[in-house]
Amino acid sequence: MATSALSLSHIDAFYGDSHVLADVSFELGEARMLGLLGRNGAGKSTCMNVTMGLLPPRRGTVAIFGQSVSGLPPEQIAARGVALVPQGRRIFKSLTVRENLIVAARKPDAGSKHAPWTIETVFGMFPRLSERSGQIAAHLSGGEQQMLAIGRALMGNPRVLLMDEPSEGLAPQIVAEVMATIRKLKESGLSIVLVEQNPKLVFDVADDIVILNTGQVAVVSTPSALSQDGVDLRQHLGVF
Amino acid sequence: MTFYLVLTVNSVTFGGLLFLLSAGFSLIFGLMRIPNLTHGSLFMIGAYIGATFVIGLLGVKLNFWLAAILATLAVALLGALAERLLLRRLPGDQLAQVLVTLGLSFMAADACLALWGGDPLNVPTPDGLGGFVRTGIGAFPLYRVAVIAIAVVFAVALWLLLDRTRLGAMIRAGVDDPDMARVVGIRVSQLFTIVFALGAGLAAFAGIIGGPILSVYPGLDQDMLPLALVVVILGGSGSLLGSFVGSIVVGFLYNFGQALLPELAYFVLFLPMLLVLLLRPQGLFGRHVP
Repeated sequence: MATSALSLSHIDAFYGDSHVLADVSFELGEARMLGLLGRNGAGKSTCMNVTMGLLPPRRGTVAIFGQSVSGLPPEQIAARGVALVPQGRRIFKSLTVRENLIVAARKPDAGSKHAPWTIETVFGMFPRLSERSGQIAAHLSGGEQQMLAIGRALMGNPRVLLMDEPSEGLAPQIVAEVMATIRKLKESGLSIVLVEQNPKLVFDVADDIVILNTGQVAVVSTPSALSQDGVDLRQHLGVF
Repeated sequence: MTFYLVLTVNSVTFGGLLFLLSAGFSLIFGLMRIPNLTHGSLFMIGAYIGATFVIGLLGVKLNFWLAAILATLAVALLGALAERLLLRRLPGDQLAQVLVTLGLSFMAADACLALWGGDPLNVPTPDGLGGFVRTGIGAFPLYRVAVIAIAVVFAVALWLLLDRTRLGAMIRAGVDDPDMARVVGIRVSQLFTIVFALGAGLAAFAGIIGGPILSVYPGLDQDMLPLALVVVILGGSGSLLGSFVGSIVVGFLYNFGQALLPELAYFVLFLPMLLVLLLRPQGLFGRHVP
């Protein structure tokens, strides 16, 4: 089997005494998109934080293209080609749009198959950011902030892109725009984990699905298999 | 009238010194959330090292500005070492940081007393800056005007560094959201050392150029630290503009308070701080930190 872009194996993670991930394992194949679903508090964002090194797991390993990154700090994991579009966007609000992008710039790895992301190519993908390049990021609309968070992640020329609820808090029209962007990124060959509460958004674009329930992996499947098998998603996801 | 003019020049001069002292204090607190209570000591150590060379206590007599640069570099190195060896080991633990930096400041005070004795050192004004500037409205000490000019040059240089360079943007990103800064690949721990060394160096530089005005004496550290605290609380931590405005305001409050209401000087100084803490805890130019 080909090396997976990202693998989490037997991860146990805690916030204080609270056991938030229990023996979580899943893999993201190269150039594939994995939809990570689950209710509020199921542990989706924690998986992202563990992958990114923000929350060191108590047990288990995280590997990027076969190399373990367990125990590394976030900046070194970023240097291995992982980028995060975090929940709540968390752009640098006092920086301008352009500054948000340049602070995250990282040269692509040698031998990368993709054309490198630069300020120009990010602005090409999000013309609205280009128009506002000198503006303080705090003054952007929610949709524009989301585009900036995605653009900022791309500036790191990642091999693995983690997207934590990119549709959260956005108007439906903007969600459609963001999803179109995500589709484009997937077509460019990037390996992506898309975390969502809304399964409908994920089923359209993801190749594989992992559903978390109360900190454990409940389902590993594909969108088509899930719709054929008639798995009761309500059991894991609440309202559907 | 002349009295008020002189007082105004003194206030702005003192504000300039305070800016050099507090800009680093504010950045260190804004970026690293470390309330660095050694900052007054760094000011005093810079002043002592500089004075040693200017006066020629070790038998080596240097030009004032060369001595200032040496003192700045020496204290910047000291700051970097303190950050790497001590403060780095206490991330997020503000009580420990307060205690360690307070302890260091007591140790520094004792060391200075042991090395330089209890008598104040009078630092001579640098060559060529000893006279007065005569203008239509009065005559002002040239050195004080020069200190104002130096503070303005440093303010502009710091602004350019923070606002116009990638390094500056990274530092501000770290102030905004340290975790996210690391996630996008910024080596925040390196930034910490750079900022700590920069802040320490600036404090030392302020100490030596303040020497001819304030002289250098045991307790200088404890005189300056509360003023830097007031500046940062008034202006807001992590904000260069806040430090600048806060320094000038404190310069005026301190000088006018001492001259006009000497028995209430500290009241005049700390009351505005109290009001800002109550009404706008993030400071005049700081952002609210949830």
